Parts: sequence; C-alpha cells; structure tokens
Amino acid sequence: MMLLRCPWCGPRNVTEFRYVGEKTSRPDPATTTPTQWRTYLYTRANVFGWTVETWYHSTGCRQHFSVERHTLSNRTRPVQENS
Amino acid sequence: MPDTTGNYTGPPPVARSPITTVAAGRGDGALTLTDESSYGKLLVRAAATGPMATALGTRFGRTSRDAGDEALVVGSGPGEWLLLADVAELPKLTEWLEQQAEADPDLVSIVDATHGRAMMRLTGHAAADVLAKLCAVDLSDTFVPDGGAFRSSVTKLVTDVVRDDAGGASTGDRPSYLLHCERSSGQYLWEAVADAGLEYGLTTTAAPT
Ligand SMILES: [Zn+2]
Repeated sequence: MMLLRCPWCGPRNVTEFRYVGEKTSRPDPATTTPTQWRTYLYTRANVFGWTVETWYHSTGCRQHFSVERHTLSNRTRPVQENS
Repeated sequence: MPDTTGNYTGPPPVARSPITTVAAGRGDGALTLTDESSYGKLLVRAAATGPMATALGTRFGRTSRDAGDEALVVGSGPGEWLLLADVAELPKLTEWLEQQAEADPDLVSIVDATHGRAMMRLTGHAAADVLAKLCAVDLSDTFVPDGGAFRSSVTKLVTDVVRDDAGGASTGDRPSYLLHCERSSGQYLWEAVADAGLEYGLTTTAAPT
C-alpha cells in the first residue's frame, strides 16, 4: 500500500486520491503562442527522481494539493521551498 | 404545488429513509446499528476562518454542540460544515445561519441535504473494531477521540465518520459513531456495516416510523 500525506487529513491510502499530474504553470492565454500552449497542455518533463505533482483527495477533504514524489521509489515528501 | 408567489403550498414533504431492508443483527444490544437518516442535515460552506466559522464554533475534524439548540456541528471539510439536528429545529436553525451569513463578507452557502443523505449510528465497545474492518483510518482515541470527525473511504464509499459518544446517550461510556453518506448508497453501507458487525453480535434497529 502506498501512503500519501494529505496536508489536511494526514497520511491516507493512495486509493483515496486522484492523480492530477505534474505541476505546471498556465501561460497567459492573451499572450501565449500556439506552441507554448501545446507545450503547457501536453508536454511533461517525466523526470527520473523527485517531481512536484498535483493530487486531489477525492475520498476525503476534496482539496487539490501539491506533493513531491520520487518516481523510482514512490516515496513522497512535502514540497521543498526551492522546487 | 407552488402558488402564484412561488411558495410551496402542498402538504409538508415526507422524509423516508433510504434504508428499507433491515436484516440480520439480533444480538444482546451491546453493539447496535441504528438508522438515523431522519435527522435534519444542513451543509454549510464558508471561509474557513471567517465570522461564519467563528459562529459555528468548530473546525475541520472536530464537532461542537454550541451552535443552536441541540444541533451537532461537524467540521466535515476545510470550510465545510455538516449540521445535524431534529427536523423540527431546521427552520429556526436555518434562520440563525442566514443571520450569521449576512455578517460574513465571503460567500456562504447553506443547503438542506436532509432528503439526500443516509445516516446511521454504530454504538458499542466493539464499534471501532467493526469500522476497522471497513476503513483504513486509525480509530484509536489519540486520532479519533470523542468529538472527532473525518471523511474517508468506508467500505469503498465516501463517508463522513463522526464520533459522538454523548449522542448514544443511553449507552453509557461506549463509543458511538455516526456514519453519513449519499442517500443512494445508504442501503449498501448499512448492509456492509451490519455484515461486519455480525461476528460481534450486532443488533440492528430500523428507523422509527
Ligand atoms: Zn485530505
């Protein structure tokens, strides 16, 4: 069982959550180019190591939150200040 | 039927429990499962730290009985509360909530979900053991003391679990949990809890009619 720590509810079974994806920042639609917009929608870094992700606690507090996950070990930790 | 002013003028709405089949469970009464779907249930959403939150007197994960007469206020989510009270108390309670909402600069919503939810109460020394078969949350006194509340997966169903020992008044010092879920899943949750409680000698009680 993989445990994920919800900042509101504490550690819960990962089956209580929905994976949203890598945390990305949305470009300004008024000034973005089609290429930038496509990159925002579809391109992911898919790193080997620590990555910042968005998860949704659908069976608990129903909040979105960010968490860091190591893509090899599945260990998770709160988002570090500099990432 | 609405009249020309849009107000409802027909007979008062009838609340029927979604739990219609109360099978099994003829124990000695030491562990009981009771249908409490007939309780009035109000859902309130407001800023987590605004005037409404102060008036309700509790936060996510905790309960209070300070707001209104006899109402149990449950902090069911961040900025989200569930108020449980006798149906007869709802008009007075709603009026009080609307007064508090006027004082809150942020958006407040108050929804009567009485008809849309199922609720049951599991009481007894073995209650936590029964729930532990269906739910992965640690139910020890440290994490879920009397007056504690959480939302989690109970038998794979999104369920508000509220520990309210005093509400099982005639039960002495035994732990008592309210389980609150969507109406359409009420019968399923009831049967799952009743089944889990069989080995502990669970007694089931239907809703009073
Ligand atoms: Zn949560």
